[in-house]
Amino acid sequence: MDLRETASQSAFRAEARAWLAANVPSQPLASFDTEVGFAQHREWEKRLAGGRWSAVSWPEQYGGRGADYIHWLIFEEEYYRSGAPGRVNQNGIFLLGPTIMEVGTDDQKERFLPTMASSEIVWAQAWSEPNAGSDLAGIRSKATRDGDDWILNGQKIWASRAVWADWCFGIFRTDPSAERHRGLTFILCPLDLPGVTVRPIAQLDGDTGFAEIFFDDVRVPVENTLGGVDKGWHVAMATAGFERGVSLRSPARFTEAANRLLHLWRAYGDPSDTALADAVTDAWMQAEGYRLHTYQTVTGMLEGRPIGAEASLNKIFWSEMDVRIHEIALQILGPEAERMEGPFERWVDGFLFSLSGPIYAGTNEIQRNIIADRVLQLPKGM
Amino acid sequence: MKFSFTDDQRMFAEGLRDLLTNECPPSLVRHTWENGEGHSPALWTKLGEMGVLGLLVSEADGGMGSDAVDAVLLFQELGRAAAPGPVLEHMAVGAPLVASSHPGVVDGSSIVTVHIDESPYVAHAAVADLIVTRTGIRSGFSSTDAHGIDGARRIATVEGGSTAPLADSAPLETSFDLMALATAAYLIGLGERMIEIAAEYARQREQFGKPIGSFQAVKHLMSDALLKVEFAKAPTYRAAWSLANGESTASRDASMAKALASEAAYRASRSSMQVHGGIGYTWEADLQLFMKKAWALSRAYGDATWHRRRVSSHVLAS
Repeated sequence: MDLRETASQSAFRAEARAWLAANVPSQPLASFDTEVGFAQHREWEKRLAGGRWSAVSWPEQYGGRGADYIHWLIFEEEYYRSGAPGRVNQNGIFLLGPTIMEVGTDDQKERFLPTMASSEIVWAQAWSEPNAGSDLAGIRSKATRDGDDWILNGQKIWASRAVWADWCFGIFRTDPSAERHRGLTFILCPLDLPGVTVRPIAQLDGDTGFAEIFFDDVRVPVENTLGGVDKGWHVAMATAGFERGVSLRSPARFTEAANRLLHLWRAYGDPSDTALADAVTDAWMQAEGYRLHTYQTVTGMLEGRPIGAEASLNKIFWSEMDVRIHEIALQILGPEAERMEGPFERWVDGFLFSLSGPIYAGTNEIQRNIIADRVLQLPKGM
Repeated sequence: MKFSFTDDQRMFAEGLRDLLTNECPPSLVRHTWENGEGHSPALWTKLGEMGVLGLLVSEADGGMGSDAVDAVLLFQELGRAAAPGPVLEHMAVGAPLVASSHPGVVDGSSIVTVHIDESPYVAHAAVADLIVTRTGIRSGFSSTDAHGIDGARRIATVEGGSTAPLADSAPLETSFDLMALATAAYLIGLGERMIEIAAEYARQREQFGKPIGSFQAVKHLMSDALLKVEFAKAPTYRAAWSLANGESTASRDASMAKALASEAAYRASRSSMQVHGGIGYTWEADLQLFMKKAWALSRAYGDATWHRRRVSSHVLAS
């Protein structure tokens, strides 16, 4: 065990910090869940990619730096510390990208990864359906084979970024006779094809961050299949493992939020309110604990101990911590916490966004079931 | 940056687990309660032979010269077994501090406990030859049992004897931090074990024609308990590293570990008891041996609130 950075890790940190200091926009961008903000964020992603910072853990040939997980965590720390914009293509870069690298063909890697790293193509996730949310295996959207094409029909919902994204990655039922998680296929589909209708849904904050996607006889070539026909569940679970486990929510954003909470407490907290002081410290400890836990996890991955069902523990932990950090901030703010605009807007917005965490990427109740079944080895059932 | 244990460290911990599985089953822990000793001389001898008791004693004083990172998984294993007697106090603080003048502590033929906090009671005084106090090494004392909740951690008031100065005057704060760290790791082991016991019970016990572990209310209770235990581990291992390396954050890190581990073990005790239903409220169930240890240790050497406020003093002000 050695928790000090190596010289090369420190040099990498310094390089990232210097680049970000010189390149992060001085004014905050508009929300990427607005049309203007989406375009601004795509430009930012292109700039990041120009410095080869958009996908640091990817191989160099696809636009990355071949950085190991520790370097990736260091980059994330510097990224959030710098106040850089949110990642509009995170569903692509952090979820789909690693999945393509794991199960994609060489041709698919060449075709999809470089344009993903540069955000020339921004990706939306199209998994949930009106009747397949927590019960994801209940997917009904179909892909029917017609020569060298799939014909897609059905409806997806809660597709983040889909309003302005270019492509989506979805799961479709390809074997109508198969039940549940068998007979599903992972298919990549442009969102501007004939037959695709995207209907924006206003989120809790009023922005259209997600959408419904309707597929009416949409024709895509079979080479857009990722990971094999009828293998979609397996591929999706690989993606979900990354998503819940490590990549989607690196500790840096919570460390940064906890540090902002400390500043807020110092500026506006009432030192005689010991209960609230305890809560602030507890939030800091949660964020610090998550950071340490993640370094331990990635060291294990580097030493050949892959993350399994414990990924579900991470997902519960970070999502509940994020809510807690924001609840405490609003408590410190008192009457100001009622305002949607003004100097504390970010805390109120952040609170609303944090409330999605326990729901998306598999509700926390589903994660608790997974932990109980796979880690604690409790019997299946409801 | 490498946040993992070496193969040697893991293998030593596995070896200790094997020893404790054989030599420290719940029946032994219960025996130490029922015979009133709160300590097992036979187990103690075995731990001495394995080198566990003198692990942190310097090589110059005849010990293994290991550090807190080497020891932390062992503390955790001792907790999994709810090992009775002054094992934490002796290993973490007592033996390293007194070994130069009392070499018998290395193999455990002399037993040393510690009293470096504000408690009016001294844990394990009845079975200890020596007490490390804030002023030195106390010996020749008499003790009066105060009837602690944990029969394998007898607490007592102490009278008489004399106190000799410590040869090696390590800062008191470091000793306290080591005690907090050792207790945190032990609490994590207790938490893990209680959850395993409850999971096993939930697999066997049937109601409504099904194992109760198949019900979501039970699954979620246990998953949440596991979450707290799992997320107390990395902070505890980090605290071990900070102490072993004399980091400036060592006190903060030890307090963070003790706060999180105390709460995690307490939560594990409550959830595990609830899963057991009525059996959980009986003297016969072995769960009580682990729960009561957790309740005692979650308060010993600073409870969660005390340690959280110590963290506050480091992070809120600056």
